[in-house]
Amino acid sequence: MLRMITRRLVASIIVLWLVSLLVFVATLMLPGDPARAILGQGATPERIAALRAQLHLDQPAWEQYTHWLAGLFHGDLGISAATQSSVNTLLADRVVASLLLMFLAAVISLPLALLIGTWSAMRRDRAADHAISGVTLVLAALPEFVVGIIVVVLFSTSVFRVLPSVTLTRPGDPVWSEPAQLVLPVLTLVVAVTPYITRMMRSTMIEVLDSPYVEMARLKGLPERTVIWRHALPHAIGPVAQVIAIQLAWLAGGVVVVEFLFRYPGVGAALIDAVNNRDVQVVQAVTIIVAGVYIIVNLLADVVGILTNPKLRTGMSR
Amino acid sequence: MSRESRSAPGFDRRRFLGAALGGAGLVGAGPLLAACGGTTPGAADAAATGKPKRGGSLRVGVAGGGAKDTVDPHIAATNPDIARVNAMYEPLAWRDAEYKMEMVLAESIEPSKDARTWTARLRKGVKFSDGRPVTADEVISSFKRMTDPDSPGNVAASLSMLDEMTKRDDRTVQFHLSSPTAIFDDLIAQYSAGIVPTDFNVKKPIGTGPFKLDSFTAGQQSTHSRNEYYWREDQPYLDKITIIDFPDDNARVNAMLANQVDAIDNVPVALVRVLNTDPRLRVLNSETGSWLPFTMRVDKPPFDDVRVRQAMRLVVDREQMIRQVLSGQGRVANDMYAPFDPGYAKELPQRHQNIAEAKRLLKEAGKPNLTVELVTGPIQAGIVEAAQVFAKQAAEAGITVKIRKVDTSTFFGDDYLKWDFAQDFWYTRNYLSQVATGSIEGAPFNETHWGGDKEFMDLYHQAVAEIDEKKRTTLMKKLQKIEYERGGYIVWGFPNQVDAYTRYVGGLEPDRTGLPLNAYRFYKVWLA
Repeated sequence: MLRMITRRLVASIIVLWLVSLLVFVATLMLPGDPARAILGQGATPERIAALRAQLHLDQPAWEQYTHWLAGLFHGDLGISAATQSSVNTLLADRVVASLLLMFLAAVISLPLALLIGTWSAMRRDRAADHAISGVTLVLAALPEFVVGIIVVVLFSTSVFRVLPSVTLTRPGDPVWSEPAQLVLPVLTLVVAVTPYITRMMRSTMIEVLDSPYVEMARLKGLPERTVIWRHALPHAIGPVAQVIAIQLAWLAGGVVVVEFLFRYPGVGAALIDAVNNRDVQVVQAVTIIVAGVYIIVNLLADVVGILTNPKLRTGMSR
Repeated sequence: MSRESRSAPGFDRRRFLGAALGGAGLVGAGPLLAACGGTTPGAADAAATGKPKRGGSLRVGVAGGGAKDTVDPHIAATNPDIARVNAMYEPLAWRDAEYKMEMVLAESIEPSKDARTWTARLRKGVKFSDGRPVTADEVISSFKRMTDPDSPGNVAASLSMLDEMTKRDDRTVQFHLSSPTAIFDDLIAQYSAGIVPTDFNVKKPIGTGPFKLDSFTAGQQSTHSRNEYYWREDQPYLDKITIIDFPDDNARVNAMLANQVDAIDNVPVALVRVLNTDPRLRVLNSETGSWLPFTMRVDKPPFDDVRVRQAMRLVVDREQMIRQVLSGQGRVANDMYAPFDPGYAKELPQRHQNIAEAKRLLKEAGKPNLTVELVTGPIQAGIVEAAQVFAKQAAEAGITVKIRKVDTSTFFGDDYLKWDFAQDFWYTRNYLSQVATGSIEGAPFNETHWGGDKEFMDLYHQAVAEIDEKKRTTLMKKLQKIEYERGGYIVWGFPNQVDAYTRYVGGLEPDRTGLPLNAYRFYKVWLA
């Protein structure tokens, strides 16, 4: 089992490295000279040369890449072209803010989706099941910015004026200093993520409930609760973990739109700003961070899959 | 925004990301149930009427902004930058809400007979926000800072004739110019020409404006408190203001509806009618001299043929443009700019759509089935929409307009000012200042490559050196007639500037400059 996890880990690292290569090559191909962009009209040839040297732009591409990669290993994301300050300081608070948003969305939507999905499977083909199917289908079809606008209209601007519609935390204060501001962005993400997981949980659970060992357990006379919790649920979790991983990884990208809509000071807003400013270093940094989140979440899902699958867990299949 | 070079005064780009999603659905008409998310002024329900009151804190949501934001008075580029500059600094003079010259830190700015020397006399008793007096020395060092060739400010390009400055006494400065310039006062009446101390440090900025800086985070917000040394009596009324960046239109409008901010700039024009029905809000609708022209390069085919340019101007249905692009929030223009200049040539007949005449001109030019590429981009609200409407209108005359939409960075990138056929955006200016910035050879933003016309250039040099206003107006009318007949701009309309504020905010009035929220003149704003 340990070997399999190690193998997955190594694969993840290789993928991350490939992503870094891809990001770097893509940004190399962008037109325009960053040094000229930073200096603007005050760009005299001497100042451009000096700045190019400072940014290592005068070196061949592979040297720039190794320099950048070495920086990544040291946790140094480079210098932002637009602000001429460290990308680390620019992104530090924002990464924390975005992770908080994702974490809250995950902590709320996961148990919710698993519970609703299981419950729905248990009342298969009854009214409640059909209602849940319908509602989750509709919600799954709505893009998150539509959900965002609906919750703003409902809870902030028009129907009930009870929650703030945008995040206006004073810079320097953490975003959780005014928890009310987190409600609508988190709610939007929860609504965006929960339906998929619910539907997947329901169908997997139905499959599991139909399986011979569940029938066996029931025939043994085990109480239904034990059947569900001890026997059915663990088997359903494995496949669902993959969907959960994809959904959580999607959150890393989905926050971009949600952050923009709610003026939330996270990496998504920073990414949009950086793209508009051609701030290559920040774009690279945010892309790597988002890719990192994707890979970590998928790795965790793999581990959960291995742990919940007895065949894999005991190393019988190779 | 994403302009990589510094911009000239009044030449700043406002970008709007995203359309007004949800439109009418965003707005509720019910009574104010609960104010939330932050502090609300005491009597949130009372409308601001009668005499201004002291005290209170104003939260302003401003469109745009990002990590490149600056509080440097001389290089403001985005709306939040301009708002902060106008809160913290003041120039010698500026254009008031009527677009008349108003003395600010100067009490007079007078030319010599040959318009080569200008004398500015400072107002008595003006102090910086740290209590130090403003003298001729600070004026001289400030202008040196704005025109420093190593790090030029927004106004540097238009002040190239400024040779040297001398101090006559503590309150008098003389500007010596290399060429006669009768409009020098207009050129320095800019928000980007603020006066700062000789030892100015952008990390600890000091100015003479109504508010001083307490905190500032680029791309987020800034907080300011009252400048106790401010020179206008009893003003400013507010104790504090917070200027908050809002890159997204929806977020800004929603924040206003949720009472998280007290005023916002740049309301999407499609929302004006809906916001007007909300009893909590006031819409500030200002007629301006801003313009969103199509720019044809007069030195490149097919536009080097004057008949093609005339045909292009004749295919535009200007009323339809105003209706469809601006939702009716604007006025029809006549291919000329500077409508608030006393010398504006309003006697020239209004140009209307004339497809038959356009077709005739194209046929005469030997280009009956003209195909042109129009470069557009979301550089300002309405630009892309105008391109689309124009393409439809031009099709009626057999002209194929291929629209090439690029992003803002590309638009203002290396090819900016070189596109054969594109669009642009300008704030209100007077005629000669506008010509100096965009319509003569060597002008910093000459999109149409205008100025090869010898007759035009001769008249311009005469006009710009003429201090007699009557004679200057006569020359200006001739210049405008030339542009009206042969120029490279299609000026179809003057869009209104639309902002909004909650009803307890007082002191804001319509402003012709085109700058949002009464040109961010926060010194006269108060809360009921």
